[in-house]
Amino acid sequence: MAIWIVIGIIVLIILWVISIYNSLVRLRNRRQNAFADIDVQLRQRHDLVPQLVETVKGYGAHERDLLLKVTEARSAAINASSIDDKIVAEQQLTSALQGLRVQVEAYPDLKANQNFLQLQEELSDIENKLAASRRFFNAATTEYNNSVESFPGNLIARNFGFQREIFFDLGTENRKQMEEPPAVKF
Amino acid sequence: MKYVGLSSQIRKNNFNSVLLLVAFPLLLLAMFYVITWFIANNQGDAGTGYEPAPAIDANVTFLKIMPVVLIFVGIWFLIAWASHSTLIRLATKSHTLERKENKRVYNLLENLCISQGMSMPKLYIIEDDSLNAFASGINEKTYSISLSRGIIEKLNDEELEGVIAHELTHIRNRDVRLLIISIIFVGIFAFLAEMAFRSIRFGGIGRKRDKGGGAIILVIIVVTAVAYLISLLLRFGISRRREYLADAGASEITKKPYALASALRKISGDPMIEAVKSRDVAQLFIDNPQAKAKGAGIAGLFATHPPIEKRIQLLEQFV
Repeated sequence: MAIWIVIGIIVLIILWVISIYNSLVRLRNRRQNAFADIDVQLRQRHDLVPQLVETVKGYGAHERDLLLKVTEARSAAINASSIDDKIVAEQQLTSALQGLRVQVEAYPDLKANQNFLQLQEELSDIENKLAASRRFFNAATTEYNNSVESFPGNLIARNFGFQREIFFDLGTENRKQMEEPPAVKF
Repeated sequence: MKYVGLSSQIRKNNFNSVLLLVAFPLLLLAMFYVITWFIANNQGDAGTGYEPAPAIDANVTFLKIMPVVLIFVGIWFLIAWASHSTLIRLATKSHTLERKENKRVYNLLENLCISQGMSMPKLYIIEDDSLNAFASGINEKTYSISLSRGIIEKLNDEELEGVIAHELTHIRNRDVRLLIISIIFVGIFAFLAEMAFRSIRFGGIGRKRDKGGGAIILVIIVVTAVAYLISLLLRFGISRRREYLADAGASEITKKPYALASALRKISGDPMIEAVKSRDVAQLFIDNPQAKAKGAGIAGLFATHPPIEKRIQLLEQFV
């Protein structure tokens, strides 16, 4: 009689381990899917940039430096390989685009151009979607980290190679850079 | 009031959906059994020196009519399940909203869906000036959110985002699925109650000499009406708590509870939609579009939505 109880308990434990393992796998894949979704938005932004550059080119020769900066930032973003590189490159592209937006204020003709307006609108839409997908990625990462680190799931996680993952944030290097007040020179 | 986490609410909803799917037919069968039992046991006393007619054995009759009842209910349910989105669209006279027509609204919805990792439900617009919105659908293919033209034009971006987030939470929680299942079943009960009332009016059942006949009709009506009321209560009891939870879910998605609170303020001014007469469809809305259904106390028990002041109060305490 006792042997059956022991076997029953062992079977239950095995089933429990399987279910936790499966949920860990599911959460990890969900996080990776979320990261791929961010990539989709980033790629859409990369595609928009050349069109934006072309539209602006027709309106002012001495914007060339700024346009060059934007184009270079875009190539850097496309060629970035590691996650940290990607994050840095994308941040630089964002600031280059913002700089462009500020400079364009001085050209009322360009501001009134339909093409330009539409491109700006689509760019800001993509920025919003990027923010949304980043939020989701971070939420998925939190959920995954919670499962990996809480007891008793962490016993199984450790055995099967699941570990805590990073968020989509600026990283400590860039955060330092960002938190320095901008130098204003007169 | 306790706030349950999102996944536990989804699990509870799914469990309750299955429970309802099982409990309503059982309730129906119990009702029929009681009716059959009363008819069988009243068959004997015909009154004026008749030989008692052979008593109907309650159980045998019940077993005979049970499959018929179940098949009937099953077919009704399947038809309603398959056609509900069309019925709702026809009842509210809404049409699809394309991205070209209203980029602002489309983008709000799309961005919210991306931030939740959900696929986008279809977007419909109701051509009406009042402020209201609802969500419907039972699976990913049929999920949809309908907004009235009034709400699109009168709310600003943040407030509209809050409303859409509220409806999205309903979809995500599978509230809508549970609600539609219960609405379909209540429809069946309503049909039966109406049939019972009609039978007393036209006196089909029960001969005049058979004094027991009147009593039988009365019993049938009472039992049917009681079952109907119970099912109504179940239906409404389900939806009030969910409204609070949907408000909480919306605040969590948008991180702006004040935006939803201010949207609710604007909505409480004018939720009536003339096009919606049916009480069933009215229940799916963010605030009941039929002004009579609000109230506290006993009337509050039948209200489909919690009082809007209370909802605003709860949201604003987090500002």
